[in-house]
Amino acid sequence: MAFEAVPRSVLLHNGGWLNITSGFISKLQFRKDKSRAHWINEIGMAEVVENKGKLWRTMGVVRSGKIYYSIEETLFLMEIGALLLLDDSGTSLSLNDMYAKVSGGSWELFEVYRHLKSLGYIVGQHGIAWSIKDAKSNRPSVSLQCSPQSSEVVDLESEDESSIVGPFNNMHINEARPVFDVYLPNSKFRKSSPGDPSFVICLTRGDLPSIADIEVLERQCGAIPLRFCHVEYGRVSFFSFDEVELPILP
Amino acid sequence: MSKIVSQLQSSLIQSDAQGLLAGCTVLIAVKPEQTDLLDHSCFGKRIVTAEKDNEWFQLGLEEAFYLCFSLKCLKIVGDDKCPKDDVELWQCMISRKPNFPDFYKAYSHLRMKNWVVKSGLNYGVDFVAYRHHPSLVHSEYAVLVLSEGEDEGNGRLRLWSDLHCTTRVSGSVVKTLLVLRITKTGNGVASPSCLEKYTVVGRTIRRWHPEQCREDNVIGENRTKQQEALGKASLKTKFTQKHDVKLKPGLVGIERGFSLVSISLVFALICFIVSRWFWSN
Repeated sequence: MAFEAVPRSVLLHNGGWLNITSGFISKLQFRKDKSRAHWINEIGMAEVVENKGKLWRTMGVVRSGKIYYSIEETLFLMEIGALLLLDDSGTSLSLNDMYAKVSGGSWELFEVYRHLKSLGYIVGQHGIAWSIKDAKSNRPSVSLQCSPQSSEVVDLESEDESSIVGPFNNMHINEARPVFDVYLPNSKFRKSSPGDPSFVICLTRGDLPSIADIEVLERQCGAIPLRFCHVEYGRVSFFSFDEVELPILP
Repeated sequence: MSKIVSQLQSSLIQSDAQGLLAGCTVLIAVKPEQTDLLDHSCFGKRIVTAEKDNEWFQLGLEEAFYLCFSLKCLKIVGDDKCPKDDVELWQCMISRKPNFPDFYKAYSHLRMKNWVVKSGLNYGVDFVAYRHHPSLVHSEYAVLVLSEGEDEGNGRLRLWSDLHCTTRVSGSVVKTLLVLRITKTGNGVASPSCLEKYTVVGRTIRRWHPEQCREDNVIGENRTKQQEALGKASLKTKFTQKHDVKLKPGLVGIERGFSLVSISLVFALICFIVSRWFWSN
């Protein structure tokens, strides 16, 4: 994404127009080739039919050789004009159709995703493996289980984790939960060996997390630093709550 | 700091110092030499009086109780002129400030690690903590004391706007927000011995700016470095301001001398070349 100031016109009270440059508005890069994907409503994911460009290297989970995009990824790709999405009958879905599918808390989730993604971070769903090679079934709802390395994390969580939409819908009010695994921008990133994420992004619905909540999440995520995220009026902000032991001074 | 505090401690014990509990402060009269010790160890605030033999100081409740209970170098009397014992004083403090146990735990936790602790009211927090004497450095932490359960209900830092507000203010004065959470294992606050059952867990709360950390492998390190640098810079300016030091005046003179010499040398060289050229013609 390129950022540049876009001049805008403002109507003055004397009837004239004033050109102002109001801040920086992101301008999208032109894309000739769009990937094509097929939206599967039952699992709430898009299965890639035709792949173009390089974005797939850091997006989507691989199950049985196929790439599946989550709703956040799908929306992101559609917003930047890199994806053509089709439904069961083969008609193309509009951004409007997809926005309608994002209800409740997942809009904030998408904003967090978009914010980090447009800064170049590699963002994956927390606790969902990027790729599983020896999946027996080719249906992602069955095969989207967690990779062995993250199984410790998941054991502590609900079984909903194995489905894709589960962790985001079955949440209690005000409960903080891990949502995304974030990796620093890295051109050598590979889905088959992603390594440990740099942070885990946690989201709360409503007020900020209690320290008790934070402690539970820290135990779940081990040594990976947590970032708590707050979304309001389209503004995404992150906080860290790191435990600290002050040194004894001389 | 620990050295100065222990000097103060022994000096106050020698003089059998007595404090007078008045409202939410403790007044104490000290000898001139103790004035410096109190100043250097950052206890209390001096009261300017016309009295010649004594200097008066006013101590906060936590400061007074720390000198009295932890350092055992101050006796505190009330209206009846009788020194109060620890339990009496403890009850007295709580009646004046209901959350005194938690505040005192936080205060003594930092003081025992030799941090200088002052009121954080100016920054909308409970305390500020300094690494050295406040005349040398700016405070590093803005400290909020959270009692157990306070973060889950009606306490501070309940709304996101509270958090934005507090981190914004602390950040703009180059302080890190430090939340000290006090947890109690026993119940009852009848005597100061319950302090032993309190535990303190500190957490620093920072805004994380993803746009600034993209290439950092160790996240947050940059920010701390930046803060350290700022702290050092402010230390220097504060030092120079306080002691009115002009930095290295001698060197500046020498530099100026050098430049004069070099200019004259260049001038002489040009003269020499020009004269040679004239001669050769």
